[in-house]
Amino acid sequence: MAILIDQNTRMVIQGITGREAQMVVDHTLAYGTRIYAGVTPGKGGQNVLGVPVYDTVWEAVKKQNVNASLVVVPPAFALDAVLEAIENGIKLIVVTTENIPQLDSVKMLYTARKNNVVIIGPNTVGMINPKDKVKMGSIGGDRPERCFVPGNVGVISRSGGMTAETSWMVKRAGFGVTTSVGIGGDSFIGSTIKDLLALFEEDEETKAVVTFSEPGTSFEEDAAQFLKEGGFTKPLISYVAGRFTESMPEGTVFGHAGAMISGNAGRPSLKMKALHESGAHVIDRYDDMISVLKTVLGEKVGGVK
Amino acid sequence: MGRMLENASKKLLKENGIPAPNHWVIHKSDEIQALHLEKPCVLKALVPVGKRGKAGAIKFADSVQEAQEKTDELLKMTVRNYEVKSVLLEEKLEIDEEWYVSITIDPQKQMPVIIATTEGGVEVEDLVKEAPEKVVIYHVEPFSKLYSYQAKEIWSKLGVTGKPLIQATSVLCGLYDIFLKYDCYILEINPLVLTRGEQVMAAASVMGVDDSALFRQPELSGQVESGSERSWRPLTELEKAMVRVNDADYRGTARYTEMDGGSIGFMCGGGGGSLLSFDALTFLGAQPANYTETGGNPSEEKVYGLTKGILSKEGVKGLFVAHNITNNTQIDVMAKGIVKAVQELGVNLDEFPIVVREAGVNDEEGKRVFEGAGITYYGEEVTIEQAAAEMVKKMEGVN
Repeated sequence: MAILIDQNTRMVIQGITGREAQMVVDHTLAYGTRIYAGVTPGKGGQNVLGVPVYDTVWEAVKKQNVNASLVVVPPAFALDAVLEAIENGIKLIVVTTENIPQLDSVKMLYTARKNNVVIIGPNTVGMINPKDKVKMGSIGGDRPERCFVPGNVGVISRSGGMTAETSWMVKRAGFGVTTSVGIGGDSFIGSTIKDLLALFEEDEETKAVVTFSEPGTSFEEDAAQFLKEGGFTKPLISYVAGRFTESMPEGTVFGHAGAMISGNAGRPSLKMKALHESGAHVIDRYDDMISVLKTVLGEKVGGVK
Repeated sequence: MGRMLENASKKLLKENGIPAPNHWVIHKSDEIQALHLEKPCVLKALVPVGKRGKAGAIKFADSVQEAQEKTDELLKMTVRNYEVKSVLLEEKLEIDEEWYVSITIDPQKQMPVIIATTEGGVEVEDLVKEAPEKVVIYHVEPFSKLYSYQAKEIWSKLGVTGKPLIQATSVLCGLYDIFLKYDCYILEINPLVLTRGEQVMAAASVMGVDDSALFRQPELSGQVESGSERSWRPLTELEKAMVRVNDADYRGTARYTEMDGGSIGFMCGGGGGSLLSFDALTFLGAQPANYTETGGNPSEEKVYGLTKGILSKEGVKGLFVAHNITNNTQIDVMAKGIVKAVQELGVNLDEFPIVVREAGVNDEEGKRVFEGAGITYYGEEVTIEQAAAEMVKKMEGVN
């Protein structure tokens, strides 16, 4: 088992004929993930590496029964693409597009909430379930096996690149992952840390979760509150990067767009404090992840494979 | 995110039907004449930062001479690292009451939110905690405009009635239209003034525009300092040069922020990986000379230009290059750009340590290029923090 994606995922890629999407298609098929359809207006009837292209999501649903969409379109078209997917009954949408206007993001997230649709992103590298060899997004590049091996740890990262690095740390500790999710670097995203913790809590195979965080937003504070309320009861190992930014003048952004500190909101030290007080294993150094994972998980899953 | 100067936002407000005082932009005090002082005036430093009143950057004058003197004072000031190069001269309003209204996006509810109060001259954040009944917080459906009845309710709940209620309703609807029309992330009117003549006017405005939306805002071209929120001061010359390096090629991203002092040139990525790398060095007591984040598969030219820029800063005595294991950034391309810059500058690696930790796409070729040039290279067998420790150790031997 895993969260969100498995062998029943029937993926459509919106914007499949774009340059970036074609590379994603190539890597995804090579990894063994099936792509059932693509959508690009005006290009219906073509195919991309054997994947049939349709003009509309409506047609892709009718002909291929797709149930999850990977959105790889330019910023100006992202809102329309997401609304089209929601309108046609898609319940899981991964939005890779970076630099979407905020008011467009707000509209797509609002519509998704009203229709009980799960959105990962925007501005995400995507997610991967190595046991079923299913990935949505550019995650893992041309060699997903390098960092993502099957196991019992869930990974949630606010940074796309650190999704891979963190999953590799899990592998280095002698374990593997159920699902690794890059939640996106923006301030306005569809699924926050707390939302995914709720899913990992339900997933029997997941025995612990590792998070990689950054300054800005209240995602970690919300996750801490969720732990306190008993919403997540498995071991949580958290690292918060960017503590150096606290000594920089207020309002400065380093890293991602979401990583802005204003007043006390968004400070890494306060995020660490909140997570620690709610019972999470907050690590001071990133490399400590390996020893903490071994201690926390060693007995539970019978050690290193 | 990009801020606009107040003269530009005031102009937009007026063009869109929001009453605001007459204003002029003054660059030298002798530009001020009798026509500017038909009424007493307000003089404000034109800098893209808030809380100018507290910084002493807002002054009042009753005569041409007084206005000229105070303009001279303002033009000598630096407000929160911004040199004052011009002054906004406005007619002073006859104020009866000072109100406040802002429109932003609530990060928790992910919806536009209006915050309004008729209590003037206070910090709204404090008022919300101390006297929440005096503040109205109103969320608006993202696909909707603000209807008159909604704006009316907001002001009515704050006790506004009579002619001012009609005026305030129309002003708030107009402000909300502007917020949507120009893709703002903030539109704040503080104070919103009720004049003795019972007019509702925008006395001071703060407008910030989402730079991700500038592609559909041709009218705002040149008026928004794109990415201005990324810095707490104007860009330095080196930073401007690095913006040009980044803009010269659409492939990949490169950001350069200069730090005060520091000895280690810093070139890391991506967004999260660079934060981790910077932390790793500072935890060990080292001082990076800059913060540079690069990723998204940059071209060799871009990496080359960036490396040269990083090494050009005075006091830089070593270079740390690290990325998380990459999804698409090609390590061999990074290696060629870095090595080209290092060799061209004639860097002596015995005196100037360079430590690289790069793993991911094409890293075997990348390793060959780095090691061929005598640069210490680590791949995925070493963690970012271990590589940072190696960098700091090597710096100990450098004067």
